[in-house]
Amino acid sequence: MKNTKYLRIAERLKGRWTVETLRKELGVSRNKAIYTIHRLRKLGYVKTWYGRNKVRVYYISLENQSHKKSYTDVINKYAPVGLAEWQTHYVYGREITAEEALIYALKKRDVRYTIASLALFRHIKDWSALYRMAKKEGLVHEIAALHEVARLFLKKLQRMPKRFYNLALKDKKSRKYIKDKSSSEDFKDIERKWKVDIPLNRADLSEYRGIAR
Amino acid sequence: MIGIKEQEELFIDIGRALERKITAYAIGGTALMLHGIKAATLDVDIVLESEEDREYLMDTMRKLAYNDSDYRLVYKEAKKGIPMMLMGEKVRFDFFVNQVITASFSNKMKERADETHEFGNLTLKAAHPTDVAIMKSATDREKDDIDIEEIYKKSLLDWNILLDAAEEQVQLGNERAILDLGYKLEKLNNQKRIAVPKGFSDKLWKLLKKQVRGKRRKRT
Repeated sequence: MKNTKYLRIAERLKGRWTVETLRKELGVSRNKAIYTIHRLRKLGYVKTWYGRNKVRVYYISLENQSHKKSYTDVINKYAPVGLAEWQTHYVYGREITAEEALIYALKKRDVRYTIASLALFRHIKDWSALYRMAKKEGLVHEIAALHEVARLFLKKLQRMPKRFYNLALKDKKSRKYIKDKSSSEDFKDIERKWKVDIPLNRADLSEYRGIAR
Repeated sequence: MIGIKEQEELFIDIGRALERKITAYAIGGTALMLHGIKAATLDVDIVLESEEDREYLMDTMRKLAYNDSDYRLVYKEAKKGIPMMLMGEKVRFDFFVNQVITASFSNKMKERADETHEFGNLTLKAAHPTDVAIMKSATDREKDDIDIEEIYKKSLLDWNILLDAAEEQVQLGNERAILDLGYKLEKLNNQKRIAVPKGFSDKLWKLLKKQVRGKRRKRT
C-alpha cells in the first residue's frame, strides 16, 4: 500500500530535483523531503548526481528500476562527447562489450557515431571476437582504418594485433566506404591503404584534442 | 501484476531458454513499461510475425512451467485476432500473430517500433506509444483510458501518426477504427483528461466521411 503511494509520487515527480526543489514541490519540511527520497531510492526510482558546489541532484524516474543498458550508454561512457539517441537498442542480463559497441556504432553509418566510437579502441580486449563480428558485418577494413586514425589522436593507443592486421589486409569482403560519398581530406594515405573512405577530417576530431598526441 | 524489474527478469529467463533468436513486438502495457511510461501490468501482450515463432516461443515457455490458459476466460468467442495464452505464476502472457483482436499490427507499426530490447535470444521491439493508444481506443476499459491519458501527459501522442494509423486500420479491414478513436478522444477530451488539438477532430471526421462514401460506392 505504502509502495503504491511512493509509486504515484515517482510518477508525478519524474525529473531532476534537489532537496530544496523537492521540498518546495511537496510542501513539506526538509527532513520529510529527504525521507521521501530515501523511500523512493529503496524502491529503485532514484539515481544521484553531484551538481555544482557538490549539490546532490536526484533523478527520479520509473525507468531507474530497470537494469537495461544501451549500446549508446557504453559508447558515451568512453566518448569525449556524448550521443543522444532515439532509436535505442537496450540489452538486459549481460554486459555490452566495447567490441560489440564499436560494431554497433559503425553499423549506424553516422558520422557522429563514428567519431564517438574512436574512443572505444582503447577498451578493445578481445581482438579475435572483434574480427569475427567485423567479418560478419563486412567492417574489417573500416575498423583497421579507423584504428589508424584513432592512433593519431589517442595517447598511447596500442597497435592492433598483427594477426588482426594481416587478416584485415587479406579481407576482400569489406565494404569500400564508411559513409556513402564522403571521404576525408586529411587521411588520404589511410584511405588508400585500406581502400575505404573515411568521412572525417582533423577538425571533426577536435573533441579528442585534449587527449591528442 | 508485475513491475518493471520483474518483467525484465521474466524476459531474461525466457531469452536464456530460447535456443534460437526470436524477434517479437511488445504492445499494450508491456510496451509502455519498456518505454518507462507505466510501472506495472496485468498481462504481457506479445505480437509475433509467424505462427511458427509463436509455437516455438510458447513451447519454450511451457518448459519454464508456464501453463496453457483458455481464451474463453477473457474472450467470448474464438475469432481471428484472439491470442493464445499462457499463465505464469504472477502474470498472463497473450501471444498474437500480426492481428490484435480487431486491429492489425501493420508493417508501418512495426517500423515505428524502433526501440529494441534484447533479452538474450528474445528481442522485443516496443510498439510506439501512439500505436498503443490507437489499439487501446477500441476498448471500454477504464485502465486503457488511464494509459492513453499517461501517453498524452508524457507528450508521446503523435497526432499525425494517430490519423495515419486510423486510416490505415480501416484500409486493413478494421472498419471501426476511426469511430472508436473519435469516440475515445472525445470522451477523454470532455472529461478534460486530454486536450485534442483544434482541427484534429475535423480531420478525423473527414476520414470517416471518406470511409462512408467508399462503402456506399462499393454497395452500388
